[in-house]
Amino acid sequence: MKDEVFKKNPHSTLGTPSSRKGHRVVVTGLGIISPVGVGREEFWKNCLRGASGVKPIQRFDVSSYRSRLGAQLPEIDFKAFIKPANLRRMDRIGRIMVSAVRLALDDSGLELGKEDPNRMGLSFGTGLGSSDTVDQFFRSLLRDGPTGATPLLFQTAVPNAISSHCSIEYGFKGVNITFSHKETSTEMAMAYACHLLREGRMHVILAGGGDELSEPLHHVYSMLGALSPGKGKGTEGMRPFDQERNGIVLGEGSGILVLETLEHAQKRRAKIYAELVGAGMAGSTDGLLRYDLDGDSIAQAMSLAAKDPSAVDHISASANSTPDLDRAESIAIRKVFKERTKEISVSSLKSMIGEFDGSGGIRACAVALALYHGMIPPTIGTQNPDPDCELNVVLHHPLKRQIRSALLNACSNGGSNISILFNRYVSS
Amino acid sequence: MRKRVVITGLGVISAVGNSVPEFWDSLIEGKEGTKGITVFDPSSYRIKIAAEVSGLDPGSHFSKKEIRRLSRCDQFGIIGFREAWKSARLDQSPVDKRRTGVVLGAGSGGILSVEKYFRDFYQGSGRPSPSLLVSYSLATTTDLIAMEAHLKGPRSTTATVCSSSSVSMGVAYEMIQMGLADVMVSGGSDSLCEVSFSGFSSLKLVDPESCKPFDKRRQGLVIGEGAGILILEELEHAARRDAPILSEFLGYGICADAYHLTSPEPNGEGVERVIKIALDHAGVDPDEVDTINAHGTATPFNDIAETRGIKRVFGGRAGEIPISGIKSMVGHCLGSAGGIEAAATTLTLKNGIVPPTIHYEVPDPLCDLNYTPNHSIKKDVRVAISNSFAFGGNNACLVFGKYSSE
Repeated sequence: MKDEVFKKNPHSTLGTPSSRKGHRVVVTGLGIISPVGVGREEFWKNCLRGASGVKPIQRFDVSSYRSRLGAQLPEIDFKAFIKPANLRRMDRIGRIMVSAVRLALDDSGLELGKEDPNRMGLSFGTGLGSSDTVDQFFRSLLRDGPTGATPLLFQTAVPNAISSHCSIEYGFKGVNITFSHKETSTEMAMAYACHLLREGRMHVILAGGGDELSEPLHHVYSMLGALSPGKGKGTEGMRPFDQERNGIVLGEGSGILVLETLEHAQKRRAKIYAELVGAGMAGSTDGLLRYDLDGDSIAQAMSLAAKDPSAVDHISASANSTPDLDRAESIAIRKVFKERTKEISVSSLKSMIGEFDGSGGIRACAVALALYHGMIPPTIGTQNPDPDCELNVVLHHPLKRQIRSALLNACSNGGSNISILFNRYVSS
Repeated sequence: MRKRVVITGLGVISAVGNSVPEFWDSLIEGKEGTKGITVFDPSSYRIKIAAEVSGLDPGSHFSKKEIRRLSRCDQFGIIGFREAWKSARLDQSPVDKRRTGVVLGAGSGGILSVEKYFRDFYQGSGRPSPSLLVSYSLATTTDLIAMEAHLKGPRSTTATVCSSSSVSMGVAYEMIQMGLADVMVSGGSDSLCEVSFSGFSSLKLVDPESCKPFDKRRQGLVIGEGAGILILEELEHAARRDAPILSEFLGYGICADAYHLTSPEPNGEGVERVIKIALDHAGVDPDEVDTINAHGTATPFNDIAETRGIKRVFGGRAGEIPISGIKSMVGHCLGSAGGIEAAATTLTLKNGIVPPTIHYEVPDPLCDLNYTPNHSIKKDVRVAISNSFAFGGNNACLVFGKYSSE
């Protein structure tokens, strides 16, 4: 019956018999708009030199808060990426995401005119998408009552507006999905995209995510005591695995990966940064604002992702400078890798770009670049490594190292844990 | 080979019933769920109605402390989950909690609580409780459900608003296919709040009287709320523990219109594509589809585009397929719409009754299909689809089948 359906339906997702075994999925383009650089080259150069994106927040008034730092994006000329007529209907996060997709497409060398738009998809992760627009909408509603509810703001305020902007801008008619699950939003988007590509249901999926700093978000995190040093002691800042770590600094930006089936990439002779192998996931239930405290679930996610832990050379840690997560992730890594732990180069890019729900896209771009170049970006800000976090952390200076496999970890407070395995691309 | 996935449990909270039996009885009777809004003060709005959940006493489900901490959306989700979990007899079978996960769809989530906070904060009236802010994340209800039953499998939340909970079931299905879970809790929960109400009102997409899908007099949606929670389970796992099997999840499709931020593609091309993708994924021929649970928001454009899309897929047979627009009764529940409608679709398959589209009086020449007007019909249904379309042209379609062991 399935073969008949396939003949009748040009949109068939069943694919050819060979594809049913599963396609290999590769990373062929990177689009990055980050606090430490826009575009792959600038971003990577700054990552390797350990640049910090963390600065006093300028975009809104933080004078009434104890925590005043954020990893903000530089001023960006969006006209360089988006036609002026289209810019008008997008809010700031929409512009950031559409621009990151543009950068990723340019980097991949994909010629959209030659692609089947039905097989081009988007899979995004974000905390709230347009958190600034939601706030504007709400304030104007409070001020003016029902007449303050402006349709233009409302239509861009929904979390899936960013993926809609991108599908409209580039004409992608395939899968279009948005995840919002705190700090694991983007990793889920990549895991889902990888699965669809493996099954041959799409040829290309732009996967990744993004978020923006906004005053209500800063307020919420501040009131919940998550910001450094909202509750903790000492000075503010990101310092994963440090004894004095005392909370997060919020960041913003977007990272997009062009994921495609190896077959499709080879056909167009694409440059391949890395192979996306798969994901492991596990949940913990220690509390709504708690990370996995004993590291069991983080360990399980890593074990499910890395079927051969002996090939893992690098872990891009989820460690975000909070006392609980950095310790739990360290326990989890030691649990999985045991005596090999010291051979694994661990680094947290969040030390440079801050913490945000959609950060996984930028972090994944860095993992792909680390595999491609054989260089691991350092963790910055950390002065006195915590003995409770006994790991081989790449501190202050980049490390030159050929990596066979790398794990990208994501852990959310509330207890979702995802680990994604990338391999150095080897044709075989 | 793909694994077969079945639905083994349901839980529903809606404007027409706060349990599955009550919800189903109301649907087949064609009960109206629209009423005056009490969740917030609607007096400054032109439109003052919604399909609000009523008759639900939080005190009989939660302690006082819990009621203070849980948003309305969380409460619906947890109550719906408890019903689903119990009806799947998961409270009686030992399951591996590490292989049991939760993927829910979210709409406005706990924004009602966050609204309360920021209203006080911006207007400087008193010191609002930061605990209201926990609902700021769309993931909160999902995490709470996982905590409720100590579920340690994969966990995520989809955020495509009006199609979220349909999309979440597709993702939950893939968690099972990826070998990461045997059992997945899916669907969604959402509650009324002023932000979404005023937003839809500002777009002039809300009907001041009632929700009249496919009727010529339709003026738009009526916002609803509630939860629709489904238990998706790998067939062999369900069979091993002798679970009740309500329907089979055959497949799904997700795609984009790539057309406009709020309007659907007018010719139904996006609707056609998503139904075809879903049927194809399910390995079902269009001729096998016996009923359609429509998105049917009753906005002027949606209903035309959906009708056109259905005709494009089913051709001459389109007029014979009974279509249900249950939003006429439960309203548009945004983040839980797909879950509630998937529950209705499953019950249609199980009971052999297609629920009606109520308030259907004046036919629209542009919507000329069989919408099961006003009265439910008996029909042996073997395959049913459920459509969900969201802002920005985010389309989803789910395919369910009557379970048979062959």
